[in-house]
Amino acid sequence: MKTIPTLGEILQAQGVSRRGFMKYCAATASLLALPPAMVPRIANALEQARRPSVIWLSFQECTGCTESLTRSSSPTLEGLIFDSISLDYHHTLQAASGDAAEAARHAAMQENMGQYLVLVDGSIPMGNPGFSTIAGISNYDMLMETVDGAAAVVAIGSCAAFGGIPGANPNPTGAVSVQDLVKDKPIVNVPGCPPIPMVITAVLAQFLTFGQLPELDIHGRPTAFFGQTIHDRCYRRPFYEQGRFAETFDDEGARKGWCLFKLGCKGPITYNACATVKWNAGTSFPIESGHPCLGCSEPGFWDKGGFYAPLSTGKFGSGEKLAGAAVAGVALGAAAAVAGRRRQAKYTKEG
Amino acid sequence: MDLLEFARGPALQVAAYILVAGVIWRLVGIIFLKEKPEFSEPRKPGGLLAALKVIYTRSFTAHPFKRATLYPKMLAYVLHIGFFAVIFLFVPHIVFFEGFLGFDWPGLPNNVIYFAGVAAVVAGIALLVRRLTNPVLKLISNFDDYFSWFVTLLPIVTGLIMPVRMGVRYETLLAIHILSVAVLMIWLPFGKLGHTFLVFVTRGTTGMVFERRGAKT
Amino acid sequence: MNSKDPIRSAIPYRRGNVKPLLNEIIHALDRLLDDDEPTVIDLASLPFAPGELEQLEQALGRGELNAELDALGKSHIRETAYPGVWWLEHRNTAGEIVGRYIEITRTPEILMSQDADIGAGRAKLRDSFEDTGNEFNKEAAK
Repeated sequence: MKTIPTLGEILQAQGVSRRGFMKYCAATASLLALPPAMVPRIANALEQARRPSVIWLSFQECTGCTESLTRSSSPTLEGLIFDSISLDYHHTLQAASGDAAEAARHAAMQENMGQYLVLVDGSIPMGNPGFSTIAGISNYDMLMETVDGAAAVVAIGSCAAFGGIPGANPNPTGAVSVQDLVKDKPIVNVPGCPPIPMVITAVLAQFLTFGQLPELDIHGRPTAFFGQTIHDRCYRRPFYEQGRFAETFDDEGARKGWCLFKLGCKGPITYNACATVKWNAGTSFPIESGHPCLGCSEPGFWDKGGFYAPLSTGKFGSGEKLAGAAVAGVALGAAAAVAGRRRQAKYTKEG
Repeated sequence: MDLLEFARGPALQVAAYILVAGVIWRLVGIIFLKEKPEFSEPRKPGGLLAALKVIYTRSFTAHPFKRATLYPKMLAYVLHIGFFAVIFLFVPHIVFFEGFLGFDWPGLPNNVIYFAGVAAVVAGIALLVRRLTNPVLKLISNFDDYFSWFVTLLPIVTGLIMPVRMGVRYETLLAIHILSVAVLMIWLPFGKLGHTFLVFVTRGTTGMVFERRGAKT
Repeated sequence: MNSKDPIRSAIPYRRGNVKPLLNEIIHALDRLLDDDEPTVIDLASLPFAPGELEQLEQALGRGELNAELDALGKSHIRETAYPGVWWLEHRNTAGEIVGRYIEITRTPEILMSQDADIGAGRAKLRDSFEDTGNEFNKEAAK
């Protein structure tokens, strides 16, 4: 095993002042959604922290999650965190390819056996191993081999966490999520399409800072970010309560920034931090731009009955079936009437 | 499929089929019954006007009973108007109806709806208390009365809990709410809740029969 | 607030985050004066409507002191029009905001010179002093 420097040592070597470090810790507390009172504890922990080895596996995915993460160019935070982790394998970002890349993965696994983190984006096809391979290795084999010696697994994006679009109906590749396959390791799901980059780094920061994984909700998501619905934290919520809704994308209500519930907003059943953390370095989030929430961090969000169908719309199936029920009603009614008439006739006779 | 998907999908579908079939069954069955033979000369023709008259006059209590029935009648009005407002004037519900009707109508602010819902529940509870304490009412009440009361109040209560949350996840509460509505839809055609679609049929029939017999309506 | 922009003026002032925050700041000032207890409010954790942050900044105004810190990117630390209420903005080296806070305190901790930095600075100064001293001695020896 190589000797791993602590984060304090790394920062010192880079000539970062104590003020800079304090700033970094304050931003980390913000990132982890911890109260500012926690900053001294974070500082303490971060000074002692040693950089963990990270292996990033990409399966059936669109690279949007990696794009999301790398586009969040915040050197003080993500940059430092990535300086302070050792990203030993990421086939999109690394220079090495083919056998050399796989050798790097094996080396990282052996050197950090039992301690490295595995980050996964993309779902795993179970229909046919040939649907998606890397260096001739099927996604399933690579996942199971790599996860075997991992300390924990982080499923990045809705595909890795819940199957995502490859797993959507009719699921031609038999795509499954990481948690469908990995049963004996702690798993953190960071869903979203893509996930908020800050949330990805926050999970890493948490692991780095406290050496443990964050508290999770019923879908394995960190409660710090997925603890409340978009609706609960939405600045347009007052309009929902007042009954002021945009009816179309270009009406008065839309221009005035009223609630998007009628345009299919899935905010009430979507747990994510978009309304507070926001996107593009805190610029805005979809609802702020006038588009309803698609619910991309929820399991099976592709198949929840239409992005623009309001949440309270029922699914009655086809109108023909309802008409069939009506016809059945007429038939039953007619039969009941005939029976009733017979009874009536009998009573009248007996009179 | 999670609970919400089940509630919004199959549960609501089956409930809708039963509701439609059940209501039509009962309406057709009653409308095509043979009219009772008349053993006396009709005093008046007893047409549609007579029906409409009773449909209107029976909305109010006849004078001699006014004082005796003021309290339950008031409660019943609060329950019915509150229930109507909650179902048809709450915007998410309007959106629900728009989903299969294809048109919508203006709603009320949520706070007004919450108030109407609470008023309806309070009135409902007061009516149940009366049913349980009034000896005559208690004697003539059966399972239908209590079950109908229960399935009527259940959707309002489950709906009112939603903004309060009480530590339960929203999608779970929504699923329970929709399921409670499905129960109401399934029971509606068969029990005493049938008055939803039969009330004016029965009143109208009464009006026509009474007028032919020359009774004061 | 720009009245020409309908979305920015959509949220009535009284319904948003600004008023409760101002109230929170008043209570934090009570704690600072009565119990000597500082408060930090992390603005990243609040769901601001568009334009609301600007409203808050405007409501607090600008005070006498305005400092710029250059450590891992620029930071601005300035006292608002209300003494003891500080507005802090941390940016990274790319100039993006990484943290925004309101501190209710006499002096924000980050303005203080830190012992670790003082120690490092002292060592550096001592080195350069000794170097300069040697230079001087050499000069004198000539």
